[in-house]
Amino acid sequence: MAGSILTVDDSSSIRVAIKVALTGAGYTVTEAGDGAEGIRKANAGKFDLIITDLNMPVMDGLTMIEELRKIPAHGGVPIIFLTTESDAALKQRAKAAGATGWLTKPFQADNLLKIVKKVLGQ
Amino acid sequence: MSDELEVLTFDLHGETLALEASIVREIMDMTAITVVPGASALVGGVINFRGKVIPLANLHLAFGMEVGPTTIDSRIVVIELELDGTFTFIGLRTDKVNEVTTLDLTKKEPPPSIGMRWRPEYVKCLVKRGGEFVVLPDLHSIFAVGSHTTGGTLKAVA
Amino acid sequence: MTGNTEAIETFRVEAAELLERIEQGLLDLSRKPGDRALVDEVFRSLHTLKGSGAMFGFDALASFTHHCETAFDKVRKGEVVATPNLVSVVLAAQDHMRTLLGGGAGDDAVGKDLLGRLEREVAIASGSAGPEPADKTEWTILFTLPPNALVNGCNPLALLAEMRELGDCTVIADVSDVPPLDALVANECYVSWRVTLHSDRPRTEIEDVFMFIIDDMKLEIQQAGSKAIEPAASTAVDVPAEVSSPVPASRQAESRSLPKGGESVRVPAERLDELMDRVGELVIAQSRLSQIAAASPDLNLRAVSEDIERLSNELRNTMMVLRMVPVGTLFSRFRRLVHDLARDTGKSIELTTEGEATEVDKTVIERLADPLVHLVRNSIDHGLETPDQRKTAGKPETGQVRLAAQHAGGEVVITITDDGRGIDRGRVRAKAEAQGLIVPNAQLSDQELLQLIFQPGFSTAQTITNLSGRGVGMDVVKRTVEALRGSIDLTSKPGVGSEVSLRIPLTLAIIDGLLVRVGKGRYVIPLSAVEECLELPVEQDMRSRGRSFISLRDSLVPFLRLRELFQTGTEPDRYQKVVVVSTGSERVGLVVDQIIGDHQTVIKAMSKLHEDVAMFSGATILGDGAVALILDIPHLVETGQNQEAQLRKAG
Repeated sequence: MAGSILTVDDSSSIRVAIKVALTGAGYTVTEAGDGAEGIRKANAGKFDLIITDLNMPVMDGLTMIEELRKIPAHGGVPIIFLTTESDAALKQRAKAAGATGWLTKPFQADNLLKIVKKVLGQ
Repeated sequence: MSDELEVLTFDLHGETLALEASIVREIMDMTAITVVPGASALVGGVINFRGKVIPLANLHLAFGMEVGPTTIDSRIVVIELELDGTFTFIGLRTDKVNEVTTLDLTKKEPPPSIGMRWRPEYVKCLVKRGGEFVVLPDLHSIFAVGSHTTGGTLKAVA
Repeated sequence: MTGNTEAIETFRVEAAELLERIEQGLLDLSRKPGDRALVDEVFRSLHTLKGSGAMFGFDALASFTHHCETAFDKVRKGEVVATPNLVSVVLAAQDHMRTLLGGGAGDDAVGKDLLGRLEREVAIASGSAGPEPADKTEWTILFTLPPNALVNGCNPLALLAEMRELGDCTVIADVSDVPPLDALVANECYVSWRVTLHSDRPRTEIEDVFMFIIDDMKLEIQQAGSKAIEPAASTAVDVPAEVSSPVPASRQAESRSLPKGGESVRVPAERLDELMDRVGELVIAQSRLSQIAAASPDLNLRAVSEDIERLSNELRNTMMVLRMVPVGTLFSRFRRLVHDLARDTGKSIELTTEGEATEVDKTVIERLADPLVHLVRNSIDHGLETPDQRKTAGKPETGQVRLAAQHAGGEVVITITDDGRGIDRGRVRAKAEAQGLIVPNAQLSDQELLQLIFQPGFSTAQTITNLSGRGVGMDVVKRTVEALRGSIDLTSKPGVGSEVSLRIPLTLAIIDGLLVRVGKGRYVIPLSAVEECLELPVEQDMRSRGRSFISLRDSLVPFLRLRELFQTGTEPDRYQKVVVVSTGSERVGLVVDQIIGDHQTVIKAMSKLHEDVAMFSGATILGDGAVALILDIPHLVETGQNQEAQLRKAG
């Protein structure tokens, strides 16, 4: 039931938090520090799920999602973005860009797992 | 446990002493020492170690030796020791740092109860190595809080 | 997983916060028994604690917490009433969870006993609630996904699986919209579904299955028996928040803990300290760079150096702000203390707090905890009267204790006020005389008399109860506050009450200091203690060999030669300076060789090996990387005066 997950965030503490929670539940986690690196890593591997921040240097999350959706190999791969509750408009834009779902920051490990399992149908 | 112990050996007034390699954090060149008025002679100063202020100890005084002048070989060995439940960095002033080596603990001897100039509780054991003895100091006993509260007691020992 | 110590540490921090939240929730609940939001909050916290506890290997904690969670789930569903007794048991259980969290196995008997009590209370409380058997409802759910759903990572099979978890499902796929093969786009979704679901869950849980796409899809949820099929989007608004739905619920909790709505990352306190060390090093490196740049003709180097100076100053300021925490985190601990004390003393007490948002350096908060506990205990134990006594005195039966915090200049002022009997001067005087602190019938001002309470060994209680008699006295409180470079004040009106106020600097991490040289060493004098600086005329230095006084305007000020006190063994500078400092109660001149200038200082604590050296409160690293010691003025003056007294005796 585990799977391979790519987490894209410029904050290393968030990446660590995600990694700890997910590796603890048996997932394999690959990290990327910005959108561009996220695309490189996504192209280099095969992921069951991508978790990304939106606000990042080099390439932001929205652009990354749009770019990934243009690549047929990544069509259908669930992409969850991290957001704060107030960002209703941003949620719409992210979904328009091709995101699957979102996770509200700050989040706790069990919430993250719940969302991951939900999206992966586990 | 094992019969072997990885150590860092160093010179102190002609004697060879050894520290468990696992507690050694860094070997520094001599640096500016700030004297702490009112502190015991054993830990009479402090130094800047990576932005932290840590005590500098003269083990010489614990073993009744003279503190020699600083030479080009003088080094400060920074160790991390658990004292009363807190890990504390301590700089040790040495005359020369030799090497990281392995001691054969089957050749160890307890400190002799007589015929030794040193306080026996300050020596954990002696290990014979290449015809001479390497001294393993008992750092916890030397730095036991309270044992060095004034400069006076140490001078009396020395 | 259990090997991941970092994650476990994070969990511990998180769990401590959860326990705190549970405790606060329970205490609030004991006053507002029916409050649904509180019940939900306690339940959620218990639930999270159980879940993460199991994840990080705290199995005993998880399984114990599970029982409390179950009990609160019943409260939440209205099957059980949150009676005061039930709340009390869970409160006690929460203490046990703390023990289990601490890694201690915990006394198994204690755990069993608590669970037994919990079970009994639940049984009693459920008798009065009248449980409603949850009937299963038949729902019909019609849904069509947006065409791009598959591309965007939505998995219809996952949605169906999730619905099956809510209850028995019958699923019918409507493929009538699937186009002929040549017109078919492979990654588009053409199928619609009709699901018949038998479930006792509320509508919101069904909607939650579609949480990510509910706005973009067609969804109709129909309850059997009701005629109209309502579009989900409109009903979602009408559903009251009380219905259990895990995801929105946790969002609610998040927004509560984050009033500004920003993001937050939890960081262990030691990381902040490490960062502080790094920033300190950066500031030092930067000042070396400035020196080099200033001596260089290279304008580019100078420009870069100035930029770095500005950035490192900003970074340091940011760092200071990061270390600030609201004093409310400290105050909230007292509600439990007061709750317990009220029970133990039989007194009726109301605790009010003010200024919880006032921010103070986290180290200050940590170190203030014990003194404040002592002061609050004192107020309740010695200050407040029993309800009967209060009635006789014409006061309301409930005694008031008020904790307040506010900023005043660079300090935070924390006051503990009670409306109790006030301090009995007669008893203070009698006790002080008995202890030999003052001579009988000594002439003392009221303030001087009250200050006697801070003398070591002083205690006015005729009977020391198990509450206050914990081996710490007001002298320890005073010392702790002074060690924080703060001061303590006490006012008291007989019959009306007492007020203790603590004035503490906002941060321990930085002080403004005066950098001086004594012999070859450099030292920092806290600027807050400095009154003025003047030259020590040579003739006065000679004349005052025997009597160390300098005349300052109309008064004589005693002075200490730091060169002698520090035994530098150096000759005095030709033009020595006197730095006049105040210890709070007196003025003393400190003779130094040179005043180097103002210096903003990052304070480093002295190590354990130098704990016994009272003259210095800490150390700092100067621009050239050397260490300078920071003078602890009250202790330094005390040491100096003792030394002088000894010299006089010997000479």
